[in-house]
Amino acid sequence: MGNQDILYLDSIAIAGPLGEMAEKFDYTYLDYYELPNADLSPYICMIITGSVDQEFMMKHKAIIRDFLDSGKVVVFGGHLFRSWLPGAGHFIPRTIHEHWDYHITPVNPDHPFFAGVELHELTYRKGVAGFYARGHHPMPQGAEALLQLPGGEPTMYIDRVSTQGTLLVSAGATLLSYGLPEMTTAVMKPRVLAWIREEYRRLQAQKEAV
Amino acid sequence: MRKIAALYSGVSHENRSWNEPKYNKYISDIIYIPEMSNNSLDGFDVVLVPSRLHVSLMNRIQPLLERFAANGGIVVMFWPQAEETAAPNQKWEFRPTNYWWWLDPNETIGYVLRRPDHELFQYIQLEDCVWHYHGIFHPPEGADVLITLGDEGAILYVDKVSSNGTWIVTALDPEYHYGSYFMPATERFLDGFFPWLAEGKV
Repeated sequence: MGNQDILYLDSIAIAGPLGEMAEKFDYTYLDYYELPNADLSPYICMIITGSVDQEFMMKHKAIIRDFLDSGKVVVFGGHLFRSWLPGAGHFIPRTIHEHWDYHITPVNPDHPFFAGVELHELTYRKGVAGFYARGHHPMPQGAEALLQLPGGEPTMYIDRVSTQGTLLVSAGATLLSYGLPEMTTAVMKPRVLAWIREEYRRLQAQKEAV
Repeated sequence: MRKIAALYSGVSHENRSWNEPKYNKYISDIIYIPEMSNNSLDGFDVVLVPSRLHVSLMNRIQPLLERFAANGGIVVMFWPQAEETAAPNQKWEFRPTNYWWWLDPNETIGYVLRRPDHELFQYIQLEDCVWHYHGIFHPPEGADVLITLGDEGAILYVDKVSSNGTWIVTALDPEYHYGSYFMPATERFLDGFFPWLAEGKV
């Protein structure tokens, strides 16, 4: 449906009926174990879910690095514990004392991703806290934090410094799959998709200029 | 104490659950499935199979699990699994998941404790099994069904009839939720389940 130039890297670990994977059918789907055999040239962006085999990703981290260095975009949401994603530190869980510990706020409330979004919906779903992120990944110097926990830890950031491409790294879900249709957070998906395309155009133009 | 092998597919929630010190002390080895050989399970008494396994990995371990059970071993299988025939002689029935039943004070999850005398329940309470389920089992005839969903099917059963060993099969996925940092009941479940597996009467 217009997003076939975006690769969705996941597994067939779980049957479709669970609904957890319903989003992936917008994109070109690739089982992560097929990554070393895949021709990545048609794709402008790779969405990588938190359910990938990180031992395997570690072994093949050069593929991710090369993809980024060709002026492309990688979106990741999950908990990193191996160092295969350029720039990102390992996931640090939030110590939870009360619901407040999970509260997410935008670092810049005017960022186009979040305009008009009820931000409590990032933290609460049906009154239950902790949906968006339960910790963070330390980000490299020069990266741009988008969302933060109460102590200022970045739960989502954009990294344009670690590679020749752009990374959007989240310690929770990606904004692409977040929210129920009736929630204001649902508006973020088209915004992030538009951002991916814009970012890709900018990176490619930059590459041409060099 | 039984020697427990925890299978691992490189996924973050398994990594957290199996390496948490209070559970890791019961685990003799964490075995990375893509590097398993035919004798990787030799010498263990129990093998833990995480929920949501990649189908290619499940297909790879299936003959190893069957041989392990045939030799008297205990196989513990958490669910959901995309490979629905992964445990012997049962039929899995998918049910749409209601993640929110507990927000309605008039709702209950509908679990029934069928074997309160079973030794597992000296280690955990029925309440420690309650978060949600993705389906139910129609277990093999002769299996010891510990928890059911009403009269509809099994949530947790012990099968000593399909092999010389024991299959402990459950629709519960505590290692997924504990390892993803949510659902406090899953931690209470694992707090009791590991010592029972290691030392209890299975």
